[in-house]
Parts: sequence; structure tokens; C-alpha cells
Amino acid sequence: MSLHEVNPSIKAFTIVISILILSAFFDPITPILIILWTVTLTFVFGRVSLKKWLLLLAPFLFIAVIYVWSTLLFPRLQEGDHVIWQWGFLTMTAEGFRRGVSLGLRVLSFATLSIMFTLTTKPTDFLLSLMQQCKLPPKLAYGIMAGYRFLPLIKEEFQILQNAHRVRGVARARTISEKMQQLKRYVIPLLAGAIRKAERTALAMESKGFTGEKNRIFYREIKLSYIDWLFFILMISAVVLSVCISWKFGYLQFYNGEL
Amino acid sequence: MLAKWKLREVIVLSVLAVVFAVVYLLFLQLGNVLFGLFGLIGYDIIFGIWFIVSIIAAYIIRKPGAAFLSETVAATVEVMLGNAVGPQLIISGMIQGLGAEAVFAATKWKNYSTWVLMAAGMGSSVFSFAWGFYVSGFAALSPSYVTAMFFVRLVSGALLAGLLGKYLSEGLAKTGALNSFPLGKEHKRNVTV
Repeated sequence: MSLHEVNPSIKAFTIVISILILSAFFDPITPILIILWTVTLTFVFGRVSLKKWLLLLAPFLFIAVIYVWSTLLFPRLQEGDHVIWQWGFLTMTAEGFRRGVSLGLRVLSFATLSIMFTLTTKPTDFLLSLMQQCKLPPKLAYGIMAGYRFLPLIKEEFQILQNAHRVRGVARARTISEKMQQLKRYVIPLLAGAIRKAERTALAMESKGFTGEKNRIFYREIKLSYIDWLFFILMISAVVLSVCISWKFGYLQFYNGEL
Repeated sequence: MLAKWKLREVIVLSVLAVVFAVVYLLFLQLGNVLFGLFGLIGYDIIFGIWFIVSIIAAYIIRKPGAAFLSETVAATVEVMLGNAVGPQLIISGMIQGLGAEAVFAATKWKNYSTWVLMAAGMGSSVFSFAWGFYVSGFAALSPSYVTAMFFVRLVSGALLAGLLGKYLSEGLAKTGALNSFPLGKEHKRNVTV
């Protein structure tokens, strides 16, 4: 069994449901358990590269650290809070610290779940599955695929524009109004080129007989199998189980938007 | 919804969504920096940029569903591009798109003046704020802070989505790339007259 084989729509659905359930609770234990479970699954059944995984997680680590830091900077001092550390204007209370850690871990648990999805799903498979299982109209699905293929072309055009500007001696933008001008100089030609390409692509697709009709057959079929439901059940039970464990140890709390 | 759309329009909508999905991801990094500096309200300052494709697509194509579909597709592409914001982003995209679409629907998809475009940006702000209020439980924050967040996001929606979206679309119309679309035709009429 490999995470890559799980049906992309079911995988996405499972992650969304897990996150919606997790949003309702607020404690440090549940997210830690979920993070451990998700990371184990990702590396054992996903065979993803550690480097890519860390690269995607990095911004969320930053956010998590800021959550903890902001409970230090702006402590909401309440009656009966236990001050554990004080230095100048920085005050850390046991309650505040726990809030910060809970929030940070919450963000990280959502991130690890999301990364498990993105690193084990091919974009094209995701779209094909949305079209075949979730009834996304083929017109739109193939439109998105065509647009997606434009990205490397747009990137190349961007470099050409950059070089062209350099050759003609356009000065580097310094002030904000210059930067806005520069942005316009790039964005408008890039978008205009993309739109012209899109029109030509549509013409080509129609001339080759693409009608966008819904009852069509597919060269690549994305199938459903027992593995998909196994994944769904495993993930949801893991979420429920970690909520139960946290409850058992008396940590569980409903989320009231602590920040 | 798509039955009345020409393939040309669908693909142009998708391409716009793809381009702005990349822009959205870049702004997410900027948002994180602002969040680090100002706290949660940091995101609200630039929140409007995340609605801009709704405004641009609706202003160019002028068909029911353009605002909703473009924002939803942009969110889907953001997920496809493989960042760490998972599939739940698609739900946020749909809700933001619905906010702008509701405003265009109120004019029966006939009026695309500057005020309507700004109102559509604000519509997305209202919808996305309501969703954020529910998902992230803003209710527990101090009411004055939440009110401040709301108004900052409202202004951001009107300016960064509404006005900037109009400005970019018009820049595009001048290049002639939109000549087969309602906005391009309108532009041509105005130039020749």
C-alpha cells in the first residue's frame, strides 16, 4: 500500500474532514498525536523526500514560533495565572504558554496533514479524479490543465521580459511608485500573452473535436478501491482516537478562538 | 453553469486563475511576514489581493459565475502547485468567490462600474470574514480588535481587489488582447468614438 495510490478526491476529502474535526478542539495533546501519526504515515507509506517535506513545513514552523512568541509579548494576564518567567516587559504565564504551544501545534498539525496530501498527489491525477469522481465539468478540468501547462511558458516569458528590460537599460525600481510602474510593466504583457495563448489553445482544442460533453470516456481512468476507504477510516479513527486520549488525560478543551 | 460558456472563455478564465494562483502564493509569504509584525490583522491589510481574480475575470468575461469559478479554480491550482495549504483552501476559495458573485448577481450581471467592482471586493471580504469568524473562532477575541480586522479587510477588498483589479483589466484591454471579450469591445468603442 502506498499513499500515492489512494484516490486523490478521497484523500482530499479525508484531509478536509480531519481538519474540520480538529478545528473544534484546542489542546496540546491532540495535535501532537496527529502530527506523529501523519508524519509516520507520510514517511512509511508515502516515501517522500525529507528535504522537500522540511522545505514545505518551514513557513509553518515560523508561524508556530510566532504564536508562542506572541503569548510572551502580549500576555493576557488574568486572575490566577501562574507567572513562570519574567524579564523586563516580557512575562510568561503557564496558561499563556500553553495557549501559545497549543495554537502552534494546531497550525503544525494542519500543515503536516496538508503536506501529506500535496507530496503524494500528482496535480494531473487530482484533476482527473475531480472530473471522474466529483463531476467537475470536463470543459473546466481540461481548461485548468491547459492553464497549468502554461506556467513554465509564462516563467520563460518573464525571464525574456527581464532581459529585454535590462538590454534597454531600464533602471532598477527604487521608490514605491517606481516599483508599481515596474510591476505593471511585467504583469500586463505577461497576462496579455497568456490570454492570447489561451484563445489559440481553445481554438486548437475545438478544431480537434473537443466539445466538453459530460458523458465521455477517459484514456486514464482514476479508480476507486478498498484502499481509499481504508485510508479514510484509518485517518478519521486516528483523529477520534487522539481526541479521546487527550480527553482521558484531562487536556481536552473546545476551541474558543484563543490567540 | 458552464453550459452557456464558450470554450475560449473557460480557458481564459482558467489561465487567469492559474496566473493569480501563483501571485496568491507569493502574497501568502508577504502575509506571513505582516502577521509576524502586526499579529492577525497583518493578513487583513493585504487580504484584498486574494479576491482580485474574481474581479478581473468577472470584469473581462461578464458572465454569471465568472467571479465564483475563477476564485475556486485559483484555489484549486494553489493546492495543485503543492504548497502546504491543503485541500481545505478550495472551500475558502469558493466562499470568497461567492461573496463577489453575490454582488454581481445583485446587479443581474449587468453593471460593471467602478463602484460595483469595489463592492464586489467588499462582498468577498464580508464572506471570507464570516467564514474566518466561524473556522478560527474570532468570537473569543476582543470585539474591538475583531471590528478593526473587519474594517481593514473591507478597505483592502475594495482597494486591492476592486480598484487594482479594474486598473489591471483596463491595462490589459489597451493591449488589444481582450478584443473578443466584452471589456475589450467596450474599450474599442470608447477609443473609436
